[in-house]
Formats: sequence, C-alpha cells, structure tokens
Amino acid sequence: MMNAIEIRNLCKNFGDKQVISSLNMNVPVGSIYGFIGENGSGKSTTEKMICGLIPLTSGTIKLFGKDYLDIDIHSKMSCLIESPGCFPSLSVWNNLMLHATNLNLVNKEDEVREVLKLVRMEGAAGNKYKNCSLGMKQRIGIALALLGNPELLVLDEPINGLDVDGMRIMREILVDLASKGKTILISSHILGELEKIATHYGIIRHGKMIKEITAEEFEKECRTFIGLKTKDLNLTKEILKNKYDRVDQDEEEYIRIYDNVTPEEVVQYLYQKNIIINEIKVDRVGLEEYYIDLMKEGGKY
Amino acid sequence: MDKKFEKYELKKSLSSMISFDFKRLVVSKFFYIIIACCLVAPILILVMTKMMEGSPMTDQNGNPILDQFGNPVLMEGFKSVWQMLGSTSTSNSGMTMDLVGMCNINMVFFAISVLVGIFIASEFRSGYVKNLFTLRSSKKEYVISKTLVCFVGGAGMIISFFVGSLIGGAITSLSFELVDISLVNVIMCLLSKLGIVLVFTSIFVLASVISKERLWMSLVAGLGIGMLLFMMIPIISPLDATMKNVVLSFVGGILFAIGLGVISNLILKKVRLI
Repeated sequence: MMNAIEIRNLCKNFGDKQVISSLNMNVPVGSIYGFIGENGSGKSTTEKMICGLIPLTSGTIKLFGKDYLDIDIHSKMSCLIESPGCFPSLSVWNNLMLHATNLNLVNKEDEVREVLKLVRMEGAAGNKYKNCSLGMKQRIGIALALLGNPELLVLDEPINGLDVDGMRIMREILVDLASKGKTILISSHILGELEKIATHYGIIRHGKMIKEITAEEFEKECRTFIGLKTKDLNLTKEILKNKYDRVDQDEEEYIRIYDNVTPEEVVQYLYQKNIIINEIKVDRVGLEEYYIDLMKEGGKY
Repeated sequence: MDKKFEKYELKKSLSSMISFDFKRLVVSKFFYIIIACCLVAPILILVMTKMMEGSPMTDQNGNPILDQFGNPVLMEGFKSVWQMLGSTSTSNSGMTMDLVGMCNINMVFFAISVLVGIFIASEFRSGYVKNLFTLRSSKKEYVISKTLVCFVGGAGMIISFFVGSLIGGAITSLSFELVDISLVNVIMCLLSKLGIVLVFTSIFVLASVISKERLWMSLVAGLGIGMLLFMMIPIISPLDATMKNVVLSFVGGILFAIGLGVISNLILKKVRLI
C-alpha cells in the first residue's frame, strides 16, 4: 500500500545544531497520523520540510511515491502550520476568496461558503481577520486548509485555542476527510483529542522517531487493567503477585493488574486473603500515559 | 490505494497566481494611498516651486548666493509642464541635481520600491507564504507574477504622476507648449519610462525576496540600488524620446526581469521560506 508520506533518513541542521536526525516516517494514504513529541523535538520542522517550506539537509521525503517537491502533488496539499496565514487587514471572506483564487476554484463563492459553514464561521465572514479571537483565527486557518479539497493536510497544533465545540467540529471534519481517502498529518499536545481520531501515531524525541504504531497496535499494547486501592498496598501487591503475572503500582497509588481477569475474581481472591478493597475500577492506559512512559528512561513501553 | 493527481499546467497555474496577486493589489489600501501620493506630489511640487520662483537662493548659513556679476541667484521654477517628465537629450537639466532635475517623474522609481517592498513583505509577515508555497512548489510562478503585478502597479504610479503633473500645470498656469518636441516624443518618453519600471521592479522584487518579511531591508536595498541607477533614467528616457528609446528600455526591462527573475527563483528554492 502506498504511503502518502514516506521519509527516510531525514536530517536537518540549523548551523551547527542538528534538529532532525535520521528520521524515518510512514504515513499511509487515508490515515490520520498523530505526530507526537515534546516541545522542540522537531515536529514543526519536519512538517515544514514536508511542505517544502524549508530545505532538507539530507535524506528523502516522498509524497504519494513521488519527490516531495512534485508540482502535481503540491497542488492538492494544504497546511496549517503554527498560526494561520491570513492578511490581517482583510476580512475573513476576502482572505478565503483570495485563497480560492489562488487555487483556481471554479465556484469560489460557493466553496468559500461551504468551508465557512463547516467551521461555523459564516457569521464572522465580514470581520477583519485581525479583529478575530484566537479560536476564530484557528477555525479560519482550518477553513483555509480545507479549501480546494486537498488530498493531504499537514496540520500543526490545529486544536490550539479551540473551544469544546470547535474541537468537536475539528474531529468530525478530520474523520470525515479520512473516510473519503484523504490523508492527515496532525501534531498536537492535546493527546486525549488525538486519541479519539488518530489511526496511526508517530512519536518523536530529540529529532528522532522513537516509535511508530497503529491505533490497533496501541490498543493491544496499552491494555485494560484492573485498578484497586486497599489499606496496605504493599501487602496487597505481594499477595496479588503470587497469583497474577503482571502486577504493578501507578503514580496515583492504584495497584494495577494487567492479567486477563475480571474484577469479581480479584475481589474474591483478596477476600479469601482477608484484604478489604477500598476502591476498584476497570481502566485502560491512555495515549498520554503511554507517551509519558515512552519518554521515561526504562519505561515499560 | 493509488492516488491520481491532475497534471500541472503552467498556463493555468500561472494565471491563477497572477489573478491572486492582482486581486490582492486592488483590495490593498496602501496601493491606493501610494497612487494618490503619486497624483498629489507633482501638484504640490509645481505649486510650491511656483510660489518660490523668483526668490533669492541662499546657502546653508542663510547668506544669498551671488553669480559672477555679484547679482543674487534667483530660484528658477518649472517653465513648462513637460519638464515634469524630464528634459531633452540635448539639454543638461535632467542630469543636474537642481530642483527641476530632481523633482520630476523619475522620483517615482524610488516610490516603486515601497510598493514592491510592502507587497511582498506583507505576504511573508502575514504567514500566507506558508499556504502559497505549500500549494505551489514551483517558485518561478511566484517571481513572474510578482514582477508582472508590481510592474503594473509601478506603471500606474508613473501614469498617476503624469496626470498629477498635467493637473498641477493647469493650476499653476504652466506652459503646455511643445517646444523642440512633439506629442509623439512625450508618448515615447512615457513608454520608455514604463520600460525602465520593469527594470526597477525586477530589482526590487529580488531585494524583497532576499529580505522576505524584513521590509526595512528591502526598502534600504531598493533605495540604494535606485540611487545607483537613477542617473541612467534621463539618459534612456529623455523628453525627446523616440521608438529607439522605447525598444531599448523594454528590451532592457525584459532582460533584467528574466535575469533577476532567475536569481530570485534560485534564492527561493534554496532558502528557508518561513
């Protein structure tokens, strides 16, 4: 299956400083690829290179099997990197109409109206861009990125500044686009939101890709567990380790059992050992915890 | 799944880029401000020189400047409205640094650097270049479009200044008589100035592409280069210009546009765009 984005041994230096080091990445066609990393890890730099906005030092980037600067492919790409790029003194409508002109769209007005409706900004079309709030600007940036029905969207922190409704709209738009075969590369620090939509993840650290994983693999790796609290956690942990293979304790002082057992079985076992359970729950490891663990030295992932 | 992409067509892509730039130009307030300045400036120059005409010239200490006979040198204003376009190739006044030689249509070439600088810098400052260069990996369309649109803007400024000169000449009752020149010469002079606009526009586009969002840098570079080339303007486009001057200026303009356009294109390919 062809990858929408394929990166091999990508390196980028700014002067003497190497910010991207032998990065490899595979973004399948039709996927929503969550690009995760700490501040300064190289996410934005990578995205800028994919869009051809900054030159590479070495390595290759292929888009849909062709060179990343291929003109045909770029005409069906769009981006939202850092802030939306709009002219401050022009109205929202004029900004979008200008971009529609640049895209050589046939029914410019209809298409602009459609994207404004998608991001719920029809009422603000007449406002000057500079007078819009951060959240409104972000929605306009998304509208700009959606114009022209692009095949590949590169989004850098698109959820920043969005309210709850805005995030929901964004989720719906991206899932809808992916269902139509469009490919989305999205970086975000709001991992809870990303977890709801991403089909693939790439985790970058210090300019290197440390893990690429699909959502299914992530589900398998980040297992459901039974979390419980008792009066004497150390004793309880020792007792549980005698019966179960994977017993651990988290930072919130829950004892976790990753084995394939039911809560009822655990309760019954501990009752037989005269251990009273204060609290018991069934939960799963989320993306945030997975990521934090991955960033830790000697983490279990 | 294999994706099929529409084949790139230079003509279609370039025409959309040019449409975009023209549309940007006409919705920009600063374009109208600069056109208005070009219209009003010659009117002000002619009115003020008319008012100051005949008054004695003084040095920096306020002492009257005397000629060889000991008579005070009096300020000379414009004698004919056509002096605002320049001087004939046989006279020297276009080459001198006096009021008549400096305060004519040739000043507009400096103002064109402001138009080009603001037009290009605002695109970088707003961040729109991210969308632009993601959509268009080919930089040559960008250079061609910017050069063409800024040339049209610059041509508008020249024409605006010319119209302002005619208005100013009418207000100050300057002579409209064509002495030693014909109307054809005036038209040829204007056309050759338009050819030089193309030269200067391509220089300013290159300076702006190098400077990107740093407007101050593009203005300094543009004005500096403008100062160096300023003296060539009255030589190539004198008031008694002929078709030869028009051809020379347009050929030069096209050569500059192509040559400097290639350099601008190369620079855009190699450097960080944001």
